[in-house]
Amino acid sequence: MIRIENLHKSFGDFEVLKGVDLHVRRGEVVVILGPSGSGKSTVLRCINRLENPTQGRIIIDGQDIMDPKTNINHIRSEATMVFQQFNLFPHMSVLENVSLGPVKVRGIKSAEADELGMELLTKVGLKEKARSYPDQLSGGQKQRVAIARALALKPKVILFDEPTSALDPELVGEVLDVMKQLAKEGMTMVVVTHEMGFAKEVADRVIFIDEGRIQEENEPRAFFANPANARLMDFLGKVISHN
Amino acid sequence: MAFDFEPSVMIESLPALMVGARMTVIITAGGLVFGFALGALTGLMKLSRNFFVRKIAGCYIETIRGTPMLVQAMFLYFGLPMAIGMRIHVMVAGISVIAVNSGAYIAEIVRGAVQSIHSGQMEAGRSIGLTRAQTMRYIIWPQAFKRMIPPLGNQFIISLKDTSLLMIIGVGELLRTGDEIVAVNFRAFEVYLTVGLIYLVMTMSIAKLLDILEKRMNLKTQR
Repeated sequence: MIRIENLHKSFGDFEVLKGVDLHVRRGEVVVILGPSGSGKSTVLRCINRLENPTQGRIIIDGQDIMDPKTNINHIRSEATMVFQQFNLFPHMSVLENVSLGPVKVRGIKSAEADELGMELLTKVGLKEKARSYPDQLSGGQKQRVAIARALALKPKVILFDEPTSALDPELVGEVLDVMKQLAKEGMTMVVVTHEMGFAKEVADRVIFIDEGRIQEENEPRAFFANPANARLMDFLGKVISHN
Repeated sequence: MAFDFEPSVMIESLPALMVGARMTVIITAGGLVFGFALGALTGLMKLSRNFFVRKIAGCYIETIRGTPMLVQAMFLYFGLPMAIGMRIHVMVAGISVIAVNSGAYIAEIVRGAVQSIHSGQMEAGRSIGLTRAQTMRYIIWPQAFKRMIPPLGNQFIISLKDTSLLMIIGVGELLRTGDEIVAVNFRAFEVYLTVGLIYLVMTMSIAKLLDILEKRMNLKTQR
């Protein structure tokens, strides 16, 4: 589904990613953990080329995203993203936020897109908010709308960039519940998060990135029970003593 | 000689002044329609990824902002015809001067408003597969436009007042009409007072209209 080979990314002189290799299979939920500044979000943002990789190859569903012949807009509509800060469109109603993509990117008729939008809003538990505007929603509700917006393109994979980090603690659960539901339905997901519980419960694979490299990669039980990497042990120690 | 204020002169000169005011409105409206189009275009050009496109817009803005409008008007109406060997209709010249002049200031208003929209909005648009142009059109521009309204109102008022400078090239606008009346009746106090009041009514109307527009847009997006 997604194959990342030797991914490097520098911002000026600062090399954030120093050669990342990652393979995500269809239907898999991959959780990426790591300390802040480790480059985990950058990996995600390279996958849909919100950041341009400095070096390396990324293949999504057989298409090389660095190939100039590849239609990057199409790739993005197949690998949609959910952001930490939601980034909903404040001048559009909740339903318009969700149906914009299907209409403008997929060329679906507006009535049909609204129907799809309502269906997805029902799925994330926000049917009654369809006519509201983003400013009228709580953080958790905004993020669920953002997930519906990402789903509306019927993407092959959804990239989650710290989807619960900007939420009040009591609102985290409602967003994670929606994500768990998606995982159960077989959606391919790459999730950058600090939610250890989600990683343990939902992930098929957990990846630890630090200093621009993948330091450890394992299925969740082994990942948390027997961390081999010293940095990971240190990281888990800090995170768990916090929780 | 004692000065005696004759309010009746104000009433008498009103019909003629309204003809001038009508011309002022036409020049302002025409100039601002083209000025806004020009400003939107060059404002967006200044945000282009292409160096030359940015430079072209930058040169235009710098040149217009850096020279007096009076010079621009005289150059366009008296200077340019000598080079192209063709007279320019005074109305065309008047509207062009307002358009070209306001366009440079509106460009900066547009650029500032577009840049003030959080970069997450562009990323969110791109992340669902919209092109840069589509994201600009459906996501960035509507939000930026709302933020443009107060500074645009300012510019519209300035441009309306600036049309008075066009009397120098012979546009029969409000001030020139007043000037012609004074040349006949010598009642400078009453006539220029009336002229001033008419300008005030017009600028206040623009402020009011934009106020209504702004309120309406807020209603639409926040309720």
